Amino acid sequence: MKNIKYFLILIGLIVFISACKKDEPTVPEDDAPFMATPYVFDIPNHFPTIMNIPEDNPMTVEGVELGRYLYYDERLAGREDEGLYMSCATCHIQEHSFENGVGFGYGLPDSVTGISKHTSHVMLPHINLIWNPGTYGWNGSVALIEDDVVGVITDPAEFNSTYEKVVNTISNIPMYPPMFEKAFGTPEITIDRISKAIAQFVRTLIASDSKAHKVFRGEVNFTDAERRGLILFTTEQGADCFHCHGSEGAPLFTTNLFYNNAKDSFFTGIYEDPHDRYHITGDPMDLGAYKATTLINIEKTGPYMHDGRFQTLDDVIAFYNGKLKWSPYADPLMHKLIPPYENGAELTPFQIADLKAFILTLTDETFLTNPDFAKPVGLP
Amino acid sequence: MNKLFKLLLLTLFSVILIAFYSCKKDEPKPDNSPSEKSGKFIFKFNHVIDGQNIEYDNIKYVNEAGNHYGVNVIQYFVTDVTLHKSGGTSMMIDDWTDFAYVDTDIPTTLTWEVFDPIPIGIYDSITFTLGFNEVKNQSFMFVNPPEVNMVWPEYLGGGYHYLKINTKWIDTTNVARGCAWHLGIGQTYDSLNVVNGFIQNYFNISLPNSAFEITEDDTKEIQIVMNVENWFKNPNTYNFDEFGGDIMQTQAAMILGCENGHDVFTIGYIQ
Repeated sequence: MKNIKYFLILIGLIVFISACKKDEPTVPEDDAPFMATPYVFDIPNHFPTIMNIPEDNPMTVEGVELGRYLYYDERLAGREDEGLYMSCATCHIQEHSFENGVGFGYGLPDSVTGISKHTSHVMLPHINLIWNPGTYGWNGSVALIEDDVVGVITDPAEFNSTYEKVVNTISNIPMYPPMFEKAFGTPEITIDRISKAIAQFVRTLIASDSKAHKVFRGEVNFTDAERRGLILFTTEQGADCFHCHGSEGAPLFTTNLFYNNAKDSFFTGIYEDPHDRYHITGDPMDLGAYKATTLINIEKTGPYMHDGRFQTLDDVIAFYNGKLKWSPYADPLMHKLIPPYENGAELTPFQIADLKAFILTLTDETFLTNPDFAKPVGLP
Repeated sequence: MNKLFKLLLLTLFSVILIAFYSCKKDEPKPDNSPSEKSGKFIFKFNHVIDGQNIEYDNIKYVNEAGNHYGVNVIQYFVTDVTLHKSGGTSMMIDDWTDFAYVDTDIPTTLTWEVFDPIPIGIYDSITFTLGFNEVKNQSFMFVNPPEVNMVWPEYLGGGYHYLKINTKWIDTTNVARGCAWHLGIGQTYDSLNVVNGFIQNYFNISLPNSAFEITEDDTKEIQIVMNVENWFKNPNTYNFDEFGGDIMQTQAAMILGCENGHDVFTIGYIQ
């Protein structure tokens, strides 16, 4: 009798549990959609929550890993047959915050002339680009990292190659088809997939662990000089860097916007740069305007400005302190541009030292040495 | 056996009962809010100087102090929009986000489709706050552009700019100079020029001629016009030459702008 009781209770429990089971559609294994492992971001404190990830290229662990291999694989340029090697990492070097540390980038030589061309502007670092609103480059002409990768392949100042050569080269490396299969579901290798994988990897290059960021998170403290430097950085009567380069509350340390920062007086005729912001927007006020670069790791990314005219941070500070040049195109935020010309923040030498001390706290050593961003072990 | 049958019947009944209730679908809860009839609001923001749409980046305007000036961009927050009825009742629009960010460089920000339903009726006037009051002006509440680019440095009081007008004027040497004409939290300074206090400069604006009636399912479009020249007059004549190109740390300049702000905004149309 007692056994029957237990039996009946058991039946009841089974009915209870199974009664609520949802009718899930069954998918035959062969027809199941391909699903790589989603790549999960841990957004740093106070960093933007809106990230520039195209819908047709969701981040996956496998895609990022493939992208890292391609980023570093010097066979990527597809000119192995000519004895010429180049990858993204040839110019975008981790210890320089994924910039080249020397200024302009020089591409592979032309097959016929043997001449190497250089990029229109100095390199920009691959750092925190996932938060770029779709205006990549000094003039904002590139909407997606994927587009940039595709452009690099044929650019005479970069790979100076062809899509066919790149695809053929990568396809003939045995390790890649299985990696593409893991990332995209099939082993097919295309320019589109190559660009997507590299873009996924580049989007993981996040720097948020500088001393300044740690101070803002309450983990460490500034020195007195650094603290005074921050005040100069964020005040109009100081150096007023923050309007274009962010602050505690804008921790990317760039607005990702474009400014004519009073480097020159003339921008037309022989002085015209066909690659400034004006040549994208057509707005005359954008003559001589370029992206305000992030100041995170700025210590590692000289020479400075779009044309690399300043070799050191000291040169840059000296420029903003007293060498601004008047023009009708200078951004109104360059309010320290006061006649007579060639002036600026007019900080004292002690203030300049403090300002520099703060700017150096924006160096993220973790980013510069993170093994997840480094060349994969074993890659030739 | 009879006892066993009873037990079997009881168990079966219990199982059916449990299964029935456990599978009851989550039905939407009845809406207990009063079934108030309502309409919708759309705000359109426009910016003029001397009654004409602004020709940006052109130093063609003259303010009351005689400064020749032009405007590069205007960016600001409109918060605490409140609709007032006769008899003293009022309703603050909460919307999803509680504010509008307006940026003349971003056309989409010039239209604010208010999420909140507006109860039908006759309203006497509309008021709002320029910027954020001290309770709402919290540092780090924005992390995404464009709002995050309105950040007001912690050392100067934190939170966000109420308003930015990036402008140029012709100075006394007859040269165009840039001016970051920005309003936000003011500061007081000690004898060593170190910040020792803050001043909340936000202010409320009552829009004249803003009475309207909204009927059921009506969508009322209201154009709010910023008359830029009024920032520089009434009651204070603001002279760019007096304060120069930056005012965030000059409370004497910011307060002039804030005091002039009362009649800067008007209604363009209500339709």
